[in-house]
Amino acid sequence: MGTQTLTSPVLKGYTPPDGVLIRVEDLWKTYDMGGAIQVNALSGVSFDIHRGEYVAIMGPSGSGKSTLMNLIGCLDTPTRGRYWLNGRLVSELTDDELAYIRNKEIGFVFQTFNLLSRASALHNVELPLIYNGTPAIERMERAQEALRRVDLGDRMGHKPNELSGGQRQRVAVARALVNNPSLLLADEPTGNLDSATGEEIMNLFDRLQAAGNTIVLVTHEHDIAARARRIISVRDGKVARDEQVR
Amino acid sequence: MSAISNAQPLLSRVKTRDGRATFSVAAREAFFIAVEALRAHKLRSFLTLLGVVIATTTLIVVMSVINGMNLYIADHIANLGANVFILDRFQWANTSDEEWIKEQRRNKLIRLEDYQFLKDSLQGYKAIGAEGWYGRNSAPPLRYRGHTLYEVVITGETPSMMGIGQQQVGSGRYFTEAEYDHSAMICFIGNDVVNEFFPNSDPLDKVIDIGGQPFRVIGVAQTLGKTLGQSQDSFVQIPLTTFQKLYASRPGIDIDIQANNADQMLELEDETRALMRARHHIPYKESDDFGLNASATIMGLWQQLTGSIFAITIAVVAVFMVVGGIVIMNIMLASVTERTHEIGIRKSLGARRRDILLQFVIESGVMAGAGGLIGILLAVIIAKLVDMVFTASVPVSAILVGLSLSTVVGLFFGIYPATKAARLDPIEALRTEA
Repeated sequence: MGTQTLTSPVLKGYTPPDGVLIRVEDLWKTYDMGGAIQVNALSGVSFDIHRGEYVAIMGPSGSGKSTLMNLIGCLDTPTRGRYWLNGRLVSELTDDELAYIRNKEIGFVFQTFNLLSRASALHNVELPLIYNGTPAIERMERAQEALRRVDLGDRMGHKPNELSGGQRQRVAVARALVNNPSLLLADEPTGNLDSATGEEIMNLFDRLQAAGNTIVLVTHEHDIAARARRIISVRDGKVARDEQVR
Repeated sequence: MSAISNAQPLLSRVKTRDGRATFSVAAREAFFIAVEALRAHKLRSFLTLLGVVIATTTLIVVMSVINGMNLYIADHIANLGANVFILDRFQWANTSDEEWIKEQRRNKLIRLEDYQFLKDSLQGYKAIGAEGWYGRNSAPPLRYRGHTLYEVVITGETPSMMGIGQQQVGSGRYFTEAEYDHSAMICFIGNDVVNEFFPNSDPLDKVIDIGGQPFRVIGVAQTLGKTLGQSQDSFVQIPLTTFQKLYASRPGIDIDIQANNADQMLELEDETRALMRARHHIPYKESDDFGLNASATIMGLWQQLTGSIFAITIAVVAVFMVVGGIVIMNIMLASVTERTHEIGIRKSLGARRRDILLQFVIESGVMAGAGGLIGILLAVIIAKLVDMVFTASVPVSAILVGLSLSTVVGLFFGIYPATKAARLDPIEALRTEA
């Protein structure tokens, strides 16, 4: 279905329709491997993701799904092509502008949690708010609220090494949600968890999607991808399949 | 500042944040991170900061000692010359070595005849006195009933000297003109000599032995205390006439002239200069072959001395600070490498280059500032110890200079590591093992 959209005329000040949260159009990422050798990690990827969707991006390692995730997460810029996020053309922004977009629009959940080990759960959740200048009191209230939403209201003062894997991932989810981002981007969120805890996190995602959050899940596990409503399969830097599953 | 230059296009393309609010929140966060990092690595931080600590301590101790001596001189030596100037063979503060050599060669001794001459010829002075010196290192020993006392300053004085300086009679009396004229074998002693020879008895009218000659004690001076750690009460004074008779090898004297008031000083100096030049037959183009020294001269000499001490200190402190700064830079570079993953996390959550830059620059500044604080603490302790045996007083300005200098060094040497941290690619940084 995504393939029809890429012929849209690119006009100055063009923005995708309101319901489209993500539009990637002919996205290329080429790496120089030294000398004249170039590797295309992505070669012309296009699709739309609407608000409220729950999408899994699947593919084996080396398929380009990590590169795609980095581009969607505004951690990287494409070599070619365009990327709109929430009505904004973000594919041509500078480092600091991308930092602003990451802060405001994207909530990351990583496989390895990526929490600051020396900081308490509360402080970890406060971090995104620190970087947009939220005053201390409001910051604390919002972080506490976010932790309560993931049922960690009683663990706020704990440091990551005092928490179980599932609890750590829930802290990460709270951190991802604290700034009310338009997109929740999860990279193998259950990869470091046992299956019961993984199930717990996936249930949490279901709840979040039901509450209206847009979720993009990057994974190589079929049963995890099956929790999503739509699966985009990536292979050799291209979209191999794009299907609604539920 | 490259990070901030991007703010302009940001305005037009994406809604911007309130820069000032972000800055203060991020700066506070950076401060707490810095304090936390210091606490987490106490020993490492201390070793890292050693250079800055030593530099700050050196700076403040030297400033304190000089300040202490300044205070002392302002209190004592400068007061000693209240409207007094001293005619001596040499100018005390020389502008050049050349001049000093010249003075050594051609300046004549000031003699008792000069004193008589000035006393008769000068007009309108308040007091005039003369003294001859036997310094503490060469003076003959004092003896009393088997006790021997070395290193006591022996001077010969005119009776008029009592009243020109700070010296006061504690008990007994000073020499009379008659005793002076007759070269009486009497002495006026300082408190140290009393404590040594007469701990439990009255020294008056006792006879002590000075270099083999008997002298009767007629008076004791009021205690003067210590100047720069040297006791000022270790002296024996005898009439100048007696002094010159006994110590013929030391005919040189200096002459103290006291004016009635400050306004009269210059006038009196000029008069003295004219008289002495005429007496020494100096052609008008030649410079003086004697020295007129006022308290201003003493202060000048003093400032010349402290100036050079200070110049050396600044050089030493600068070297320490640069070394300390480089060590801090090194440890900050290590810290950036160590915390690459953390930087990646922060960047993924929306930290801009300048947020990361700020974090590491502030950390470096706080670290060096802490070194400065330790240095100040150490310096205050050392200054207290020095003050017990010598003199030192920590000026507030030294503390401020020490603290701000060390912090600035930290901020400066933090710039390079912080820039490296700020430029890290978020993906690469996240991929680094924590």
